[in-house]
Amino acid sequence: MQTLKVTKDKKVNGVTIKRISLFLIFIILTVLSLMIGADNNVTIGNLIKMDDTAGQTFIISRAPRTIAIILTASGLSIAGLIMQAISRNKFMSPSTSGTTDAAMLGVLLSYLLIGKQPHIIQVIFAFIFALCSTILFMTVLNKIKLRDAVYVPLVGMMYGAIIKAFTTAIAYHFGALQIVSIISLGTFNRFTNFNLLYIVLVPLFLSVIYATRFSIAGMGEDFSKGLGLNYKRTIFLGLCIIAVISAASFVTVGPITFVGLIIPNMVSAFYGDDVKKSIFDVAVLGAVFVLLCDIFSRLIIYPYEVAVGFTIGIVGGLIFLIILFRRIKYGKQ
Amino acid sequence: MLNFKGEQTMIEIKNISQAYGNTQVLREVNLIIKEKRITALIGANGAGKSTLLNVAANLLEPCAGTVLLDGKDIKEMKSQDIAKRIAILKQTQHLNMRISVRDLVSFGRYPHSQGRLKDEDEQKIRQAIEYMNLKEIENKFIDELSGGQRQRAYIAMILAQDTKYIFLDEPLNNLDIKYSVEMMTILRKLVKELSKTVIIVMHDINFAAAYADDIVAMKGGQIMKEGAAQDIIDQTVLTEVFDHEFCIANVYGKKVCVYFPPEDKSAKGDAINE
Repeated sequence: MQTLKVTKDKKVNGVTIKRISLFLIFIILTVLSLMIGADNNVTIGNLIKMDDTAGQTFIISRAPRTIAIILTASGLSIAGLIMQAISRNKFMSPSTSGTTDAAMLGVLLSYLLIGKQPHIIQVIFAFIFALCSTILFMTVLNKIKLRDAVYVPLVGMMYGAIIKAFTTAIAYHFGALQIVSIISLGTFNRFTNFNLLYIVLVPLFLSVIYATRFSIAGMGEDFSKGLGLNYKRTIFLGLCIIAVISAASFVTVGPITFVGLIIPNMVSAFYGDDVKKSIFDVAVLGAVFVLLCDIFSRLIIYPYEVAVGFTIGIVGGLIFLIILFRRIKYGKQ
Repeated sequence: MLNFKGEQTMIEIKNISQAYGNTQVLREVNLIIKEKRITALIGANGAGKSTLLNVAANLLEPCAGTVLLDGKDIKEMKSQDIAKRIAILKQTQHLNMRISVRDLVSFGRYPHSQGRLKDEDEQKIRQAIEYMNLKEIENKFIDELSGGQRQRAYIAMILAQDTKYIFLDEPLNNLDIKYSVEMMTILRKLVKELSKTVIIVMHDINFAAAYADDIVAMKGGQIMKEGAAQDIIDQTVLTEVFDHEFCIANVYGKKVCVYFPPEDKSAKGDAINE
């Protein structure tokens, strides 16, 4: 028994080292993210000395922003992971299947129908639209059977563009184009409160608990039924998790593209497709990626900053292309 | 069949009918599956073998009729409880999933653990992996394995599921002869050592003849004939079931079906005589 445990530990070692170093990078970036900003007063020294202005800046501006980044990034990455598992398609993600665009339409309609209202109403609108749109997209995708999974994000982006065009047309008709341009920018620099983002914790918690169910559902309907898993309910739960995360993060920080697509793909290259095995790494790597992009956006034209949505769009787009070309090159594995 | 408590322990299929649209796939099928034996379902394509298997495992709801699992109507049982008694493996095509052998085997514990593995579950997983000789490749992804290894991994998953009944839908498809024989030898071992009851849909009549205890021959959605393998592997029976001339030969004391028509018609019948 003792010897068995030792050999097992040895095997696991490589994985553990990777995990620990990823987590260390995450901690370092979190601290960096907290320390960067226009106000040079915020240093660790000043915070320990309980400097009042530094403390204020830290609590009101810095900490919420960093927490928002971590929650959004981990949330969207896990949403992508679950979406890829239940659709059995490595190229699905909230931002490349119309989910985010539908959330935007929902937010716009909530403005037009009710006017200025608490953010929670916007989230509910965004949630309903995101859920319906994702169900529609996945149903259509199951029916048409694309020749290669590579086409899925492309079709998804076209579908998203149609919804976006529709949103713009409605906004134009009602003279609300300004609202669209505000909500369609992804940034952590909004002077909104990020409290709403804590909603994301609920679906994150659920996805960890039900990770095995999503893996099994990913093996197919008959496979799931054979193991006594309620397949349809699991898929619906997964879609709800995806929609809540997309809606809450869209309303608070705007569209963050590619994260949900590239992060699960990068992690599955190491750990495979078991949701339970990779969910922690997906969350941490997602946070690391967005923290990096955010720090870069804040430093490049310091003391001003670029909207993080641009940086993520460019870097994420490049990584997405690499994944796409690798996939085409190494064939249909 | 009754166990010591006087409960019925078996699968009883009663008056099952099934149709897809206007096509009748099963017509009032009645069957009792005997315990601790390998039962092979044979028949031509479209005879309804796989449909019958799916209905019996509750993957498919029949248009009419009932399936009794250990005396209880399967429709009134929780799917989780069914999964503790019946494990089903269909033709496997999950090649794009990168799941390690160990993860796959641990899925078999889902009906018992609901995803939270306890010590007992870990133990069953380890036993299943060792029983199927997968210890060395337990951390490999299933898409990296050979066909035979992958099939063994799926069987290990079913063993971890720890069910009395094992249903297999054409498990020999895409397997080399060597691995097919290995697979059937393993199934015989499961019946002998672990007292499993195996129901298997098969294409190759000779594998059924060599390894099954009982054979159920189907045609046009009905059971043509059922009984011990020795009785079903019979020229008249098989000719009727498959609409094709058969010739039964005896090799090493085992019945072998020859289904190639002789080039010289007069040579016909040479190989008969058991």
